[in-house]
Amino acid sequence: MRTIKAIFIKQACDTLKNWMVLIQFILFPIMALIMTVLIAKPADDIPNSMFVTMFAAMYAGMTPLVTVASVIAEDKEHKSLRFLVIAGVKPQEYLLGISGFVLTVGLIVAVLFGLIGGFGGVEFVKFVLVLTLGSVASAILGATIGVISKNQQVATATVTPVFMILAFSPMFAEFNETISKMTSFLYTRQVSMLVNDFDMSLTEPVLIVLANIAVVFVLFVVAYRKKGLRI
Amino acid sequence: MIKMTNIVKRFGAQTVLSEVSFETKYKEIFGLLGPSGAGKTTIINILTNQLSQDSGTHAIGVTPFETGLMLDEDGLYPRLSCIENLNVFADIYGMPHKKSLEVLKSVGLEDAVKKAVNTLSRGMRQRLALARAILHEPKLLFLDEPTSGLDPGTARGIHRLILSLRDKGATIFLTTHNMDEAVKLCDRVALLHKGKIVEHGGPADICMRHNAMKTVPDLEAVFINMTGTALQ
Repeated sequence: MRTIKAIFIKQACDTLKNWMVLIQFILFPIMALIMTVLIAKPADDIPNSMFVTMFAAMYAGMTPLVTVASVIAEDKEHKSLRFLVIAGVKPQEYLLGISGFVLTVGLIVAVLFGLIGGFGGVEFVKFVLVLTLGSVASAILGATIGVISKNQQVATATVTPVFMILAFSPMFAEFNETISKMTSFLYTRQVSMLVNDFDMSLTEPVLIVLANIAVVFVLFVVAYRKKGLRI
Repeated sequence: MIKMTNIVKRFGAQTVLSEVSFETKYKEIFGLLGPSGAGKTTIINILTNQLSQDSGTHAIGVTPFETGLMLDEDGLYPRLSCIENLNVFADIYGMPHKKSLEVLKSVGLEDAVKKAVNTLSRGMRQRLALARAILHEPKLLFLDEPTSGLDPGTARGIHRLILSLRDKGATIFLTTHNMDEAVKLCDRVALLHKGKIVEHGGPADICMRHNAMKTVPDLEAVFINMTGTALQ
């Protein structure tokens, strides 16, 4: 636990000084806030929460994925990870420290989104829960990409098409039936559907998101067994 | 303290270490001398379990927690300050943060406590990497080319620190291709050439042994005599 806490604190200090990573966390809520205030609120025919749900789904598909992948790849590239391992940090402790930080900030951002969207009571809890589940899937996928990437350049090249599909497909699915059907098994699509309609049953979407988490976890285990944390 | 027996390491078809055997004693500075590509870093990587050998055995006589490591690639967090870099490891080792400050002072970085690593000179980064290696007062310290690329003044400072660590009871295993450094610091040395140890012993003993041939003023000459290759 001490080691996980040390990695968590290291990541917090580092992220506060890393504009490239920090912007990933604040970009989507700020965009949602601006669009809500400038467009949704003055318009009569646009729901107040429209931009919040749109950007929240994008956030869940992109931010934890990109952040975890780039942090792991950077630590490998700078050989920092090597010294942690030599100091006795176990790979699972390192991954829990990094992912724990990203998910904690993710939770704060989910609450922020909820406040901007003006959700209350059960809606708010559902929204935060769904967004957090989506972030978990994203973070594990990011860890998988970080593990297989030699350096940040490779991680960025790998992560870009993945987040493009995950983050933007829910938006395209709103306009195209075929895309909607094709992406219905993706966790970002389910997150988007759930935050768009809180009256729908939670069972099927949550099961699909959990199945996604299981699949990416298996991918992570395979990648980790093959590559480990040292390249 | 360290015992390496008949270690063989190959990378593909290339044999980088060939039947390497040596032993170090407690509380001594043991130097591994050789030109670039001789296999010095590979030996450190094997001893610190970052690489596995193809055959042979090794033991270091202390737990991994009791070892410190300074490599050519410092692995520091560039955006974090000097003190934050050390505090990460103080937290991992369960040590108070005031220890980080003490160690920074001991390597002469007390004026750079809050400076970000990416603003430091190479010499200062080397000293910070050394501070991280000695933070938990390891019994065995691995130093891979600790003064490589440093100006003479900074190198002298690091030499003084290495000697004081030995005097405090640490065993130090260092690699270098700098003959003067080896003579100044090491109690015993091994000369490594193309993955083989060609000579070992105290620097003065080695010179005396080879002086019988009346050609040897120093270790550099011994190395050139034996291998036909310059160290640097």
